[in-house]
Order: sequence, then structure tokens, then C-alpha cells
Amino acid sequence: MGGVEDDEPASKRMKLACRELKGNPNDSLLSEPSFGSSRDLMARLLQSEEDEVIGSKGVIKKVEFVQIIAKALYSLGYKKSGAHLEEESGIPLHSSAVNMFMHQILDGNWGESVATLHSIGLKDESTVKSASFLILEQKFFELLDGGKVMDALKTLRTEIAHLCASSNQLRELSSNLVSFSHGASVGSSNQVNLRAKSRPKLLQELQELLPPTIMVPERRLEQLVEQALTLQRDACVFHNSLDREISLYTDHQCGRDQIPSRTLQVGTNGEVSLKHKLSGHHKPVSSVSWSSDDGKLLTCGVEESVRCWDVSSGECLHVYEKSGPGLVSCGWSPDGKSIFSGVNDRSICMWDLDGKEVENWKGQRTLRISDLEITRDGKQIMSIFKETAILLFDREAKSERVIEEDQTITSFSLSRDNRYLLVNLVGPEIHLWNIDGDINLVAKYKGHKRTRFVIKSCFGGSEQAFVASGSEDSQVYIWHRGSEELIGKLSGHSGSVNCVSWNPVNPHMLASASDDGTIRIWGLNSHLQQHKKLQQVHSNGGSMAAAYNGRT
Amino acid sequence: MGRLFVVNLEGKIYSCKHCRTHLALCEDIVSKVSFHSRHGKAYLFSKVVNVTMGEKEERMMMTGRHTVVDIFCVGCGSIVGWKYETAHEKSQKYKEGKSVLERFKVSGPDGSSYWANHEVSQLIAGSDADDV
Repeated sequence: MGGVEDDEPASKRMKLACRELKGNPNDSLLSEPSFGSSRDLMARLLQSEEDEVIGSKGVIKKVEFVQIIAKALYSLGYKKSGAHLEEESGIPLHSSAVNMFMHQILDGNWGESVATLHSIGLKDESTVKSASFLILEQKFFELLDGGKVMDALKTLRTEIAHLCASSNQLRELSSNLVSFSHGASVGSSNQVNLRAKSRPKLLQELQELLPPTIMVPERRLEQLVEQALTLQRDACVFHNSLDREISLYTDHQCGRDQIPSRTLQVGTNGEVSLKHKLSGHHKPVSSVSWSSDDGKLLTCGVEESVRCWDVSSGECLHVYEKSGPGLVSCGWSPDGKSIFSGVNDRSICMWDLDGKEVENWKGQRTLRISDLEITRDGKQIMSIFKETAILLFDREAKSERVIEEDQTITSFSLSRDNRYLLVNLVGPEIHLWNIDGDINLVAKYKGHKRTRFVIKSCFGGSEQAFVASGSEDSQVYIWHRGSEELIGKLSGHSGSVNCVSWNPVNPHMLASASDDGTIRIWGLNSHLQQHKKLQQVHSNGGSMAAAYNGRT
Repeated sequence: MGRLFVVNLEGKIYSCKHCRTHLALCEDIVSKVSFHSRHGKAYLFSKVVNVTMGEKEERMMMTGRHTVVDIFCVGCGSIVGWKYETAHEKSQKYKEGKSVLERFKVSGPDGSSYWANHEVSQLIAGSDADDV
């Protein structure tokens, strides 16, 4: 063999020879060696070293690699292929002791299986004990199910008792004896409540108990592949695609082309078209709220009233107002049976659909300019209640939590999973707060412009991995939520962009509203037809709270 | 137009003369006597709200050189005073971060306005005029 020095140790020479026999490490391991005499094959089998490694980094142990592939073949149902692989590679999936153990379990040779257990090579005494317990417990239950009460009792006394971790365990098992004999005397004959699990199930439980070096864990290959895919996805900064698009053939990496960057539509031509003009308010509409089934819309006229509209007909279903104070914000309860509203006397009130005021939380709970958010479980109500603080009020537990900021707050929005709050500050700056459990500041987003208006921001994209905001410089700003990196500035509007809304079901679509009097729909730069199809799926998926100075 | 973001104050309020946007509270006045603008009296406040800021400028005032920014009402955009960013004289450092509102540009807590008195501004020593 060329390239091998004669004064090198013999084993190394043989190792090189083996590798040459097998050919290029990148080739499939199942392919026939190019020099195919049986003598060479034998040499290979004898010389394959336990610590042989494959792969470009030399960290994958060949024996382990082949074993998890064999395991995967078996669990996919390809028994013949699995057996063939074991034979051809010369690498058995299990040691002969383990094979024997498995057969003994499935055949119900309890005593022998416990004995084998001791010779399998387990270092941890407690594992041996726990496994023995499981096996003998199975024996106990199978005896009971077979009606052999005395044998079961004997097993319990002599074999199991000393293995019990606690007296409770022993007592529980004994109680089975008692209830069995009771059941028998009451006289149900045919219906036997089988207490024993199936033997394959027992084997599975034992497998989970035994260390992976003894018995390769189930689905280990799938687990490793999933780990790799998850890492790829997490490393994908611009990740904004649906998970089913991830392929095994190439590393997954979204480019910037997965973020909306192109105006698809301005105004009302094309796919998104004007459905209704809802007239009725006399004051500017400051906020809107969609019901969870997207069938109704609440709108709030500033310091005036709240109106409920039917989305399909455009009809005004109800007007909610108080005699005296005006309403400043509105929100649906998740069950669609109640309506919440902030009042300009700082309180928050709740109505039923017919307009009857059901609750009124007094005190300083909201400001005149404040958003109102309700969590999906209907319990927490959130609003800006001080210049620099947001109140998180649990109306069920009657407890309050507060987010304190260092600057004046202009608006905020709640994440879909209700665990985060995106807070807009005068700065301008956007802060991301975790509100699940302990309240803490997670991230800050900067770059956009604001001096005079309420500019809204929102979560968006696949898994809400992005943050989008309007800006007074007429652009839409998009940040990567985790890294706080500004990844997009969408130009097109000719006036301050006051509000943005990312389509909750289409991660590639974003809407923005501007002082130039238009709404723009943003999408991907590519012209792929598949994206058009996705757009048709959403109906009222995109909700916008457009701060217009008009009355509709 | 987008929705103006304004902070609403409680108490004795000074507001913009033109559009009535709240600007400051009486209790936040630091000094009433030492400040003058070309239109007359001006008060130094520790906190002012609902204003936007112009570009930084170096200005020579009677008390020395300062870096200031002009401040404008968010409601109507009219100039209402200035804010001290940096004072270059040690004795004037107390002004940093505070803002001056021109009495002529605001309505007082009782709704009263102020009529400019040009003579007064030039005479009083130790006062800041916005232009020398």
C-alpha cells in the first residue's frame, strides 16, 4: 500500500489498510469494499478498533454511529435491513448478554433475566436494583392476573420485599393482593382487570432505565437530527419561514429575503380591498379590537363611546357609553361575552354585550392615552396608568403588578403567548419586557424616529421573532427580536408611519398606516406564487389599530 | 395627522398660549426672577412636558457660555423657550437639564397671559437673555 512507512507500528499500518479497503470515508458505509475477498473481510472484522472515528472532525465513533442507524432501521420497521447491517458491519446492536436479556424478558423468564442483569455490565448498583424490581413486579402482576395468588404472595415476600425503595411501595403491592382476592370473591369471572403491562412495554421501561452504553436508546438518531435542525433554526437570524419548509438536504438559513421588504399594494387596489366603511363615531377613532373569532370589531372614539360592529355586514351592533365621562380605549374579553374599556376618569369598566355595565374598577388604572390589553385567559388587564408605568391587573386574583420605566410611555402591545410586553417610549425607544413570572427587561430596540405622535409597534413573523414599528421619518422599522439588530427599514410612505400590524397567520405580510393617508401592504421581494396562495388564506388575520384623524 | 402624544398634568398648569397643550407645573418652577427672553420674563422649570427639541447651539448669555436647545410645543410647533444642555461655567451647572419657558408664550395657571415688556429684559444683571 503506497504511502505507508515500514517502521510505523503494525496496528497503524493495518488501520490504514482497513480504511483503504473501505474506500473514501464519505462513501456510504453499506457499500461493498472494492477489494472484496473474504480474507480481507475477515481481517477487517478482526481489526476494527473500538475507538475508530468517522467524519471530518473525527468526533463520531464508528461503532456508535452504526448502532444508532441499526436502531433507527429497526424502529422504522426495517428488521431485515437492521439485521443485515449488523451482520455486514460486524457491529452488533446489542451485546450477546443484552440480546439474551431481551429474549428472557419477552419470554417471561424472570429469574434468568434478573441473573443476566447482573452480568450485563452495570456499574450502578441502584440501577440493578430498580431494574430487578421492575422485572419482579411484572412477575408479580402476571401471577396475579393468572390467578396464582399464593405464588404472587411468595414472590412478594421473598424476592420483591428487599428491593422495595420504601414501605409504601411494599404496601401498595400488597394491597393488590387484597383487592384481587376481593374481586375474585365478588365473582366477576370473565372480565379480568389485567394489572400487568405488556412485556414489550416492560422492555421499553427497562431500556429507559439502563444506561445508553448498554442499550441504545430508542429514536436516538431522530433526536440527533432534530437537535441539528433546531440549532440551525435558532442560528437562522432572519428565520421567518414555516417549519415544514426545513429540509435535511441543506443547512437551513433564511436570508433577508424572508422578511417583508416590498410594497405589494397601496390603498385599495388588488387583493386586499376595502370591505366596509364604518361610520358613526363623531370623534377620531383611537383604537380597534378584533373579537377572537374575527367576527366583530370594537372601535373607540376618543373620549366618546365604544362601538361594536359586525365585520361581515358592516352594521353597528351596539354603542357603549357612559353618561358623563368619555371612553378612551376598548378590548374584547377572550370569550367574546364582555367588553372592556378605559374611561377618561382613570377607571376601567366592563360591559356585557347588551350594554349593561358589569364591573367598574376605580382608581388610577388608565390614562387618557393608553392601550388596553387583555390576556387570553381573560384574567389580566393591562394599561398605562402613570406617565412611566404600566399596570398589570389580575381581576380574578385581585392582584396588581407594575412595570416601571425610566421614560414616558406612549403605547404598548402584548405578545401572542401573553408572556411579553412591547413598550414604546418617548425616546424614542422600544423596550421588551418579560411578564411571565418575574417582571424583567429583556431587550431594547432603537433607531426609529418619534417626536410628536403615538407611534405603534408590534410583534410579528414566524414565532413572533421580529419587532416592527412605525416611525416619523416615513419608514417601517424591523428588528430581530432576539438580537435587537435592526434588519429592515421599509421605505415607501411619504408621511409619518403611525401604526404597523404584522399578519398573524402569514409571516411574510405586514401592513402599515401613514399620515400620507394610505395603508401599505408589504410582502417578500420574490415573485413566488406560493406566497400569493398564503395571502388568500387569511381573512381577518391582520388587525390594525390605525390612528386616523377621520371619523371612520 | 397621526395621534399627538401628550402628557396631561394635574395641578397648577402652564400651557401653550396657542393650543393649550400642557407644558409645566407651577410646583416645578425653580426660579421666577432670574430669566429673561427678548419677550420679557421667563421662568426656569425643573420639568417640562410635551415639547420637542431643536438643534444644539452654543449661546453666549449674560452668565456665560451655554449649550442650549430651543423647545417647541408638540401641539402647534411654536417655540416656547429653551433647555440647558450644558453650562460651561461651574456656577451655572445647576441649570443643566432644566428648561426655561417664556412667560409670553404660555398661559398661566389662572389662564392669564403676559404682555411683553421689552424694557425690563435689558436691565437686570445676572439674567439670561436668549440673545446678547
